[in-house]
Amino acid sequence: MKKTGGRIYTFLVFLFLYAPILVLIVFSFNDTETASRTVWSGFSFKWYQKLFEDRLILEALRNTLLIAVIAAAASTVLGTVAAVGINSMKRLPQRILMNITNFPMVNPEIVTGVSMMLLFVFAVGLFGGRSLGMGSIIAAHITFCLPYVILSVLPKLRQMDPNLYEAAQDLGCPPVKAFFKVVLPEIMPGVVTGMIMAFTLSIDDFVISYFTSGTTQTLPIYIYSMTRKRVSPEINALSTVLFAVVMALLIVVNVRQGRGRRPAKEEG
Amino acid sequence: MKAKSRLLSAPYTVWMTIFIVLPMLLVAWFAFTDRAGHFTLENILSVGQYSNVFLRSIWLGAVATFISLVMGYPLAYIISKMSAKRQSVMVMLVMLPMWMNFLLRTYAWMTLLEDNGLINAALRALGFNGIHMINTAGAVVLGMVYNYIPYMILPLYSVLTKIDQSVIEAAEDLGANSRQVFFKVVVPMSMPGIISGVTMVFVPAVSTFIISKMLGGGANLLIGDLIDMQFLGSAYNPNLGSAISLVLMVIILICMGIMNQFDDGEPGEGGVLL
Amino acid sequence: MNNTILSLQNIAVSYGGEQVLGGFHLDIQDGEFVTLLGPSGCGKTTVLRTIGGFIQPDAGDVFFYGKNITALPPHKREVNTIFQKYALFPHLNVYDNIAFGMRIKGKNEREIKATVHEMLSMVNLTGYAHRGISQLSGGQQQRVAIARALANEPKVLLLDEPLGALDLKLRKDMQVELKKIQQQTGITFVFVTHDQEEALSMSDTVVVMDGGDIQQIGTPTDIYNEPKNAFVADFIGESNILDGLMLEDYSVRFAGHTFQCLDKGFGKNTPVDVVIRPEDIDVVQADSTHITGEVTAVTFKGVHYEIIVDVAGFKWMIQSTDFRAVGDRIGLSLTPDDIHVMAKSEYSGRFGDYSTFSDEMDEDMQAAGEEEGKADEG
Repeated sequence: MKKTGGRIYTFLVFLFLYAPILVLIVFSFNDTETASRTVWSGFSFKWYQKLFEDRLILEALRNTLLIAVIAAAASTVLGTVAAVGINSMKRLPQRILMNITNFPMVNPEIVTGVSMMLLFVFAVGLFGGRSLGMGSIIAAHITFCLPYVILSVLPKLRQMDPNLYEAAQDLGCPPVKAFFKVVLPEIMPGVVTGMIMAFTLSIDDFVISYFTSGTTQTLPIYIYSMTRKRVSPEINALSTVLFAVVMALLIVVNVRQGRGRRPAKEEG
Repeated sequence: MKAKSRLLSAPYTVWMTIFIVLPMLLVAWFAFTDRAGHFTLENILSVGQYSNVFLRSIWLGAVATFISLVMGYPLAYIISKMSAKRQSVMVMLVMLPMWMNFLLRTYAWMTLLEDNGLINAALRALGFNGIHMINTAGAVVLGMVYNYIPYMILPLYSVLTKIDQSVIEAAEDLGANSRQVFFKVVVPMSMPGIISGVTMVFVPAVSTFIISKMLGGGANLLIGDLIDMQFLGSAYNPNLGSAISLVLMVIILICMGIMNQFDDGEPGEGGVLL
Repeated sequence: MNNTILSLQNIAVSYGGEQVLGGFHLDIQDGEFVTLLGPSGCGKTTVLRTIGGFIQPDAGDVFFYGKNITALPPHKREVNTIFQKYALFPHLNVYDNIAFGMRIKGKNEREIKATVHEMLSMVNLTGYAHRGISQLSGGQQQRVAIARALANEPKVLLLDEPLGALDLKLRKDMQVELKKIQQQTGITFVFVTHDQEEALSMSDTVVVMDGGDIQQIGTPTDIYNEPKNAFVADFIGESNILDGLMLEDYSVRFAGHTFQCLDKGFGKNTPVDVVIRPEDIDVVQADSTHITGEVTAVTFKGVHYEIIVDVAGFKWMIQSTDFRAVGDRIGLSLTPDDIHVMAKSEYSGRFGDYSTFSDEMDEDMQAAGEEEGKADEG
């Protein structure tokens, strides 16, 4: 009795979570001339065709990927190095720095977004040059990705036997080499998780990009403008493609985490 | 050696100072100056005229948070009782929608809730009258719950699954029936999860501007919309926008402070997910 | 018989198709301190959890004062448990932990307060009422767990290796204290352990278990002095176990000689196991006795020396306060009192001499024993 009740409840919640996505996907194959989103008029791939012919979308996609790759790479390197430093810091400065690290994660995104916008506009006022564009988006993305990298690398560093690094040096390894030969392999799962998170967060981000992009289009910004002005099943097709890509990525990540036991993500 | 490796965090410290600390100081500075750069309290004072927007945001955010908690807790509890293998599948399923772009998820609800949307089409097909759902406060709450409920379920789940079975057995042993076990042991022990779940739903819900724009129409303006308007909208006024942002941050800080009063256990349990 | 408080009859329990208990019987008398003693996986924790109501047996019945309680859920049993890792409620302080059971029963707060303070003083934690659980040491948590269980006024207290997580000295103190509390309150204690010393020093009755079966029930002295089979002899204390032949009553032949003994009733010319405790053997001049051998190892143990003697290929262990050097030839002298004869059992021959004996093995056994808690829980 109790069990079936639980099952029905679980099913209903998942229905709530997935029904809209399913509807979206189904209607991406709708063969309709008008913008009607609710009348089914036959199966077709035409919105996908339109999607891949849409120059603006492709450019937005290119920007999004470029930003994500740069932001993920930069935040991973900077964040990993920083995590090593933070790990060996004294208590008080460590706490201060960790509070700054946690801050953008609890601060409303919109406030982080407008504050960075103010910074970039302010900087232009001081130094001149172009204010908002690719450069500012990338800087903003690196900033909000950094805490996630640090929070996935730091637990791995804490778990690591501190004698490992000393043992490597004891055996004649110079410090930098010891880091690459001994420490890095130990914390690699955390580094990779952090990088993947940074990448997906960057691709997905709308709010912060919205305030720091100027006229540069990223995919989420483009989607936003599509929902604002004209309503076209092209969005549905785009959603479906993105959903499929994310699914594929998630499966890869999960296989990795399956091997690395506990996902570092939950510790974040 | 340690002193040397401490220096490794220097570039990060500089970066965060420039891109997190400095911008926050700018927000504060803008909030207390006028366009000419002179000190003024006018911005902060004029935030008061938007008190109805603030109240609406807090009210809708609170309702959405409450619904997420009531809806999410049973699911998290059910999942935590499953076999380890099914648990990880279920957690995956809870997280999966979050990986779809936030705007698209909200857009999906637009197509469902519209006057000519799928739900109304279905109702009409069944012979009922259509219901006006889009552009109402209810639609905004629905959008908030839909988008943020995974942030409620996941921390709850991670706390619930950590509760030692022997503690539950101890309660039974001491005479508690299953109702008493749940309310006297399970719920209090999951408090850290409840707190982080509530925070993680309330903060983005209260500060959203997309959900209200897409599902709430013009009638359900929230704080986020207000800020958006001051920076990128028609009412361009970054000084006022900064003041509103500052007030929003203070409100959230106060709410979190109140929430943490309920958490007398050790900090760090449950933790922030994601 | 008439003051049997708990009776397990024909209990069968299996986990995942593997039978842990089958046809298990046990009667426990009111006011007794009973210890279930056995190695990893012997089913002792399963017995305890069956009494507590956390396991529903596949077959058999549990009787409490003659009333069948097999189907009764844990919260309705007048039995309380001290869990292995205490299972204190982390969200409650010491006071509220101890008050938990009484509040469930709806007692008034005045009465609760009095009982909590009484319990706290009984476990020597007066003044700790408002501490958080995480602020307590392992030993203190242990005491709170005891107080919490006793506050519920159980008829029977079940203790699942409660001292396993404590260090040696604290464990000894708690043994004494638990015994004292048991005598004070008169509550029936059912105690589970794999530590034979703990079992011997605390219990009124020891139940030695292996492979889901009871090997022997008796007082600690009975169990030690009159082990029923080779398993019990080996598990409790050190023993030299030799193959022997019971020639007739009071006469047994082993180690190539015939000895007088105090045992009878085995019939004529019956193969038996002979147990001789290391501390019972007297070391004498070589050739002044029947058994002569060469010392192969000597270990100083503080109170005595542990001497391994090779007698015609069989290695004996002797505990003696006199030092003997490796290589010495010594004689072993036995009186009839030192010889204990046991019937042959499935365990015969499994426990040989001390030829492979080393301290390391002892440690291994202990480590295995510590793991058992987890294995047993499963």
